[in-house]
Amino acid sequence: MIGVELRKLFRRPRTWITIALLNALPVLVAVLLKVTDLAPRPGEGPAFLSAVLTNGTLFPLAALAIVLPLFLPIAVAVVAGDAVAGEAQGGTLRYLLARPAGRTRLLVAKLVAVIAFVLVTVVVVAAVGYVVGTTLFEVQSLGATTGISGTSLTPQQVAGRTLLSIGYITVSMLGVAAFALFFSTLTDSPQLATLGALAVLIGSSLLFTLDAASDIAPYLPTRYWLSFVDFFRDPILWRNTARGLGLQAVYVVVLLGAAWANFTTKDVTS
Amino acid sequence: MVALGLAVLVALPALVEALPARDGGASAADLRDRVLASEDVAFSGYAISTGGLTLPVSDALTGVADLLSDQTSLRAWYRGADDWRVDVVTATGETGTHRDATGTWTWDYADQAASRGTLPPLALPTAPDLLPSALGRRLLSEAADDELSRTAPARVAGVDALGLRYTPADAAASVSEVDVWVDPGTGLPLRVVVRGGDTATPALDTRFLDLSLTTPDASTTDFVPPPGADVRSDQELTDVDLGRQERADLPGTLADLGRRTFDGVPEQVGVYGSGITVLAVSALPGRAAAGLRDQLAATPGAVVDDLGVRIAAGPLALMVAGTSTRDGGSGTYLLAGTVTLDALATAARQIQEAPAR
Repeated sequence: MIGVELRKLFRRPRTWITIALLNALPVLVAVLLKVTDLAPRPGEGPAFLSAVLTNGTLFPLAALAIVLPLFLPIAVAVVAGDAVAGEAQGGTLRYLLARPAGRTRLLVAKLVAVIAFVLVTVVVVAAVGYVVGTTLFEVQSLGATTGISGTSLTPQQVAGRTLLSIGYITVSMLGVAAFALFFSTLTDSPQLATLGALAVLIGSSLLFTLDAASDIAPYLPTRYWLSFVDFFRDPILWRNTARGLGLQAVYVVVLLGAAWANFTTKDVTS
Repeated sequence: MVALGLAVLVALPALVEALPARDGGASAADLRDRVLASEDVAFSGYAISTGGLTLPVSDALTGVADLLSDQTSLRAWYRGADDWRVDVVTATGETGTHRDATGTWTWDYADQAASRGTLPPLALPTAPDLLPSALGRRLLSEAADDELSRTAPARVAGVDALGLRYTPADAAASVSEVDVWVDPGTGLPLRVVVRGGDTATPALDTRFLDLSLTTPDASTTDFVPPPGADVRSDQELTDVDLGRQERADLPGTLADLGRRTFDGVPEQVGVYGSGITVLAVSALPGRAAAGLRDQLAATPGAVVDDLGVRIAAGPLALMVAGTSTRDGGSGTYLLAGTVTLDALATAARQIQEAPAR
């Protein structure tokens, strides 16, 4: 059943259109930077964008930082929100459940497909970023990259830390997917599930900027999203990323538990 | 089930915090001595400092104003008094100060610049000064035995820290109390809270969130400017032009606070008081005085009279006093410190009455 769901997801043109659109913004940014030669100051604009003019290998990170606040979560919420509610809206959910596979297995299959989508999307953004970055900008093949702490990072260190960042961002997006999947079991409308997940994220981002909400800030799902920057400090600051992983794990376990409890006891009529 | 599990998870940090911390039997004076002897304790850690002051200062001093009004996240590695590193960590960058035997390197990621400082005798507060260990030692360094008392222990960075309260006895003091929580094993201050007057919000609250007492690597505290970085040297406060007019000598005491001398501090700058009650007086060139005077006068709560303009921001007091020598006055002075507004007024009057040269 997992294979069926994966094939279904990755054979849909709209999956690939979503991924392509997601890559359009970083590519546009790269072209604009190349044409104008105007990079933001370090510490301003999306993380690492300031450094790409002199080192194109950092562009995968900049590309992820560009899509992370909005585009990436929208894409994930659209796909995950569609998982169950889309079948219900299309009237196919009851036929799926008519098979002896059971509801838990269907939910697991949907979950695996969503996780696969998150991983593929993040890796594609990073890969396209790498190709665009190394073709448009200079690549320091011998010289080391200056990290945030002012120390030099070898190309191997940059590659390793970029992989850590990709993993971290993937886990952060699983939190979004868990929200959307949970809402997807509550409603028959995939749009509603997607918008529900986005509402949570926008609310969280807004509360994070408020001093008055500082007591609940550590529990906000978007609180540690940008902490992947900490991988480029020297020594690496693990405090925030460790908390980010723990927080996403709690959200994923709780929401998937709720989704499972809801889906297995739900009256499926459509 | 899920709701119950979630409730337990959410409540866990609050529950751990509510557990009572163990107390130790040290006397207040003993505890202070252990704090002052902790300068050689090596550690690394993560601290946050929250300032509760709003300073009406010009653009030239925004760094200081941010330290005292915002939350600052600090990463620290400390091997000894002249071998340490403190990074101010922000979401997308950092500013690191690396201390070595002869000075400091400051790395600013936003500017891609490294600047060299040579330990001037007179300097504005910087982020490393806000680290609980450094601030606690500094504030307690001149506390007398009868100004100290023990308070309840508290858990700071996972340590059952001993509580120590410093209540300055000077009549001029604007800081009402300083609470320091101390690591019982090493004497390292782990949290410092400074309160002024009767406000509920502390003027400053700085504490470790993580602390490790292992000695960090020398490679972590070292700094070599990266290739391509802009290398500068720090502007020193003593480079600031204090005006060349003939001035009266500053008196030996102001508002009952005795004058102290430091090597390298120019004669036009006087430092008075001790402990947490300190007043700094500096001659001010006329052109700088006018702008600052207007700025202070526009601050809510400013007191404007024939002595000058004075304001208080929490326990910090600031005053532009006197009149320009060109108008036949005794010259303008900037007075700043942790003293009451009344003490500032007294000091301003005493400067005016000081015999001319």
